Amino acid sequence: MIGGLFIYNHKGEVLISRVYRDDIGRNAVDAFRVNVIHARQQVRSPVTNIARTSFFHVKRSNIWLAAVTKQNVNAAMVFEFLYKMCDVMAAYFGKISEENIKNNFVLIYERLDEILDFGYPQNSETGALKTFITQQGIKSQTKEEQSQITSQVTGQIGWRREGIKYRRNELFLDVLESVNLLMSPQGQVLSAHVSGRVVMKSYLSGMPECKFGMNDKIVIEKQGKGTADETSKSGKQSIAIDDCTFHQCVRLSKFDSERSISFIPPDGEFELMRYRTTKDIILPFRVIPLVREVGRTKLEVKVVIKSNFKPSLLAQKIEVRIPTPLNTSGVQVICMKGKAKYKASENAIVWKIKRMAGMKESQISAEIELLPTNDKKKWARPPISMNFEVPFAPSGLKVRYLKVFEPKLNYSDHDVIKWVRYIGRSGIYETRC
Amino acid sequence: MPYLGSEDVVKELKKALCNPHIQADRLRYRNVIQRVIRYMTQGLDMSGVFMEMVKASATVDIVQKKLVYLYMCTYAPLKPDLALLAINTLCKDCSDPNPMVRGLALRSMCSLRMPGVQEYIQQPILNGLRDKASYVRRVAVLGCAKMHNLHGDSEVDGALVNELYSLLRDQDPIVVVNCLRSLEEILKQEGGIVINKPIAHHLLNRMSKLDQWGQAEVLNFLLRYQPRSEEELFDILNLLDSFLKSGSPGVVMGATKLFLILAKKFPHVQTDVLVRVKGPLLAACSSESRELCFVALCHVRQILHSLPGHFSSHYKKFFCSYSEPHYIKLQKVEVLCELVNDENVQQVLEELRGYCTDVSADFAQAAIFAIGGIARTYTDQCVQILTELLGLRQEHITTVVVQTFRDLVWLCPQCTEAVCQALPGCEENIQDSEGKQALIWLLGVHGERIPNAPYVLEDFVENVKSETFPAVKMELLTALMRLFLSRPAECQDMLGRLLYYCIEEEKDMAVRDRGLFYYRLLLVGIDEVKRILCSPKSDPTLGLLEDPAERPVNSWASDFNTLVPVYGKSRWATISKCQGAERCGPELPKTPSFTASGPLIPEENKERVQELPDSGALMLVPNLQLTADYFEKTWLSLKVAHQQVLPWQGEFHPDTLQMALQVVNIQTIAMSRAGARPWKAYLSAQDDTGCLFLTELLLTSENSEMQISVKQNETRTETLNSFISVLETVIGTIEEIKS
Repeated sequence: MIGGLFIYNHKGEVLISRVYRDDIGRNAVDAFRVNVIHARQQVRSPVTNIARTSFFHVKRSNIWLAAVTKQNVNAAMVFEFLYKMCDVMAAYFGKISEENIKNNFVLIYERLDEILDFGYPQNSETGALKTFITQQGIKSQTKEEQSQITSQVTGQIGWRREGIKYRRNELFLDVLESVNLLMSPQGQVLSAHVSGRVVMKSYLSGMPECKFGMNDKIVIEKQGKGTADETSKSGKQSIAIDDCTFHQCVRLSKFDSERSISFIPPDGEFELMRYRTTKDIILPFRVIPLVREVGRTKLEVKVVIKSNFKPSLLAQKIEVRIPTPLNTSGVQVICMKGKAKYKASENAIVWKIKRMAGMKESQISAEIELLPTNDKKKWARPPISMNFEVPFAPSGLKVRYLKVFEPKLNYSDHDVIKWVRYIGRSGIYETRC
Repeated sequence: MPYLGSEDVVKELKKALCNPHIQADRLRYRNVIQRVIRYMTQGLDMSGVFMEMVKASATVDIVQKKLVYLYMCTYAPLKPDLALLAINTLCKDCSDPNPMVRGLALRSMCSLRMPGVQEYIQQPILNGLRDKASYVRRVAVLGCAKMHNLHGDSEVDGALVNELYSLLRDQDPIVVVNCLRSLEEILKQEGGIVINKPIAHHLLNRMSKLDQWGQAEVLNFLLRYQPRSEEELFDILNLLDSFLKSGSPGVVMGATKLFLILAKKFPHVQTDVLVRVKGPLLAACSSESRELCFVALCHVRQILHSLPGHFSSHYKKFFCSYSEPHYIKLQKVEVLCELVNDENVQQVLEELRGYCTDVSADFAQAAIFAIGGIARTYTDQCVQILTELLGLRQEHITTVVVQTFRDLVWLCPQCTEAVCQALPGCEENIQDSEGKQALIWLLGVHGERIPNAPYVLEDFVENVKSETFPAVKMELLTALMRLFLSRPAECQDMLGRLLYYCIEEEKDMAVRDRGLFYYRLLLVGIDEVKRILCSPKSDPTLGLLEDPAERPVNSWASDFNTLVPVYGKSRWATISKCQGAERCGPELPKTPSFTASGPLIPEENKERVQELPDSGALMLVPNLQLTADYFEKTWLSLKVAHQQVLPWQGEFHPDTLQMALQVVNIQTIAMSRAGARPWKAYLSAQDDTGCLFLTELLLTSENSEMQISVKQNETRTETLNSFISVLETVIGTIEEIKS
């Protein structure tokens, strides 16, 4: 149970404060500001106990969201709730920034009122909430709208209301992955994993029944029993998913028994599933660092990056960040492709390449001049990190089908326009040097 | 600005709210109201415009209504008389055709938090419970809890509770969950809502229809249900199986806890469950949501306490990445330290060694301590790494390494040789108190193996005048005494100097006393010094005592998925201890006031005693004089009015009990001596109306329970109940002191 919710800007000014329970006083707002936001040392824990009150905080850009309680609550649940809050806010006004919060302040109070009552989470589905929240004042609602609310609030399925109609039935599937890597200087993979999400945006009429299929190893093997040679002929790659979780609309019993994913989707955008793989990851880039210390005042750095995917694909927004020692006095950089700059404020050489095709190689070399210091401290050599975006799924996941059935309305699977897109981004992609 | 000129702002807003032109223009009117709320958020006292805001609530504009209601809920306790004016509008809204308006009005009305509002909200709530829109029912159900909270001491309304129990069968899932929450709050004094078999099965069947918050909540409530048979137990587990793989980590954790608790008699099921949640937990540990990752790591540590090998094959998942926040890195290091085994020790140590040179001194030190922890099992490798770290000659590293060495030689004497070889030269790089103490201790205890030990200590003696930490001086005294025993020739002179300084010039009394003590000890003779100072140099058994392995799962199952693993057990104990004292007060409103508090009751309990409200009807008369004869006669003539059994463990002092009873004006007539079995005591008390309470306490040898029988000369259940609760409190307190 949550006693109160506060939102602060980076200076610690309160933007939103909503108290739900009597045991949380006004001084709680200040306690958090003084002890956490204005604290000198770095944040020690996302859960802070001040005067027997627990503060759970989440930071989004420079905005602090804090949930306060005096009870012994489930920490995971509170954080999930805060994430949900952020999602809901983002769904209404985009990025969570001080300006946006100030401009939508009425809306946020409305939301807080609906989403929590007496400190207990209530309905939090964005789609369902939209019926309750009125950003513009409404004089009196039409009959139809009123009955909509009633059907929504009495409906059996909490995430979808009845009577949705679209002229064009369309759906969009995004496979969004973030690939994480930690590599040793010798090029040995210390740890790598892909955490992915399948996000679906659906504009479908009625109560459609959907079925989603992908190249999950277990399913392929199951089906492959009969037509083993066929699958091997087509050379379909299957992937091993370590674990996956679904939106609550997916019937888990069916997934457990047949491993088929069937569901009635909420209207609009939602996250169908979340998964994680650790085997056979396609690492889109390889970073080969070479650091040589020439005397005490000079450092030579050479970094080669190799792209490791089909030549027809293009990676975008590539950024390599090479850390430099604190006592750097000057840097000369030569790179074959893109632009590289030494940023003294960040203690790093930032090398940016707009686009790069697969199976290519590029190189940067830099000479770093150091100021002689008597500091005995050795430079810790932080890892070289990388950012990029590639148009495929590094885990190898492929969407095989997404079928739509709506028995009551007369449209079939063929009439639905479907779009599928794969985006692989870098998570924490680091190579030690 | 707003913090200073609040009066002007209020005046200006008041004028604006009263302005008929603004009132006519809806948008402008709403803007002014928004400004009021904005100032309210910033902490400005806006209660001055309450009247105007109440007027603004009579509108068809829902947004405006919401804002005004928000305002009223904040300031109603300050202006109860004015808030009553708003009730009329609210009541009208409660019967609006639009369910949204009805719900909003009801919710706001219940949140007004001012005395006297109950009589107005009771009827709307009852109507709300039967509303056809589930949105209103949700609000009304929680409204019941709010109403009860407003009136802390009011009797539980039986009809209302029954109505809520029946609403557990409502078709809307959120109404069902809200009912559980509401009943829990209303019945708090009776120990919360009772989950019997039909309710439990009903909830289990509805689980899949609930949203994640509901599921987590219901899982929590199901913890109370005790299945009748093994068959039923496994049916429940099968039914809930899919929730171990839920998309929401909170639900997964909740389900795990339920499994662990329900299967507390089946260790293999528990282990199996922990194996199955490994995947989801690991996923949470490597998720991008940092805070969730932190919570998951805390729970991983908890599991590792009982099953040290549980995550060993996944050790790479716990390697820190450069850009992770500090708190995650610290947790990961702890985890790594605990999951180490023969196969991965090489890689883990390699990784930890990398962290030791991290830019963040905090993190580096945590890594070194972690290596120290691993060293208890894999001594040689770790000592080698630690020795190499000394070569870096950096203050913050050296001091921690030396501290680690100190702990290590105490637990693992076999590494003493290696440590002694590594020590020379460290003294140049230690500046802080902790590090110095550790180094001096090592030099004192193992000085005979370190060739230059006397010379290092001599430096310290030389600079003792400028030494700022008294603890270092104390350590130095002891160390030098010890070294003097093994290498007298080299130490005698400087020991003399040090003692002279400590006794004659030192300002700190503790150091001076220690110096005097050693001086007199030396006067007694060298054999006596040896007897006192030559204590054992190591104690490997201490390590075994601390060994975390083989702690049963059941010992922490009830703490799983609460704040306990997040804060750590000891820290939570201190937090909840204070909280307990705070909470217990208002929770026992039926207990009468105590007229005196004895010196016997410890601090924490005393607080509780004083915090008890004066609402009780029972007043016990002090200094009641009753002869044993009279007692016996009355006792035999009366029937037992109440009989009860309280849990009781082990031995105690009858005197303590007697004193404690005296504090609350209950006299002891007779009592068996301590340790006797069966043990009996007879007590008497009288309240201000002259009603006598005679009590027998009986403790039999075989069972661990105390039986209480109370007799009363006038039959009045009300005062009897109060008397019994007093007695329970006293016995409970004694029980607490004991444990």
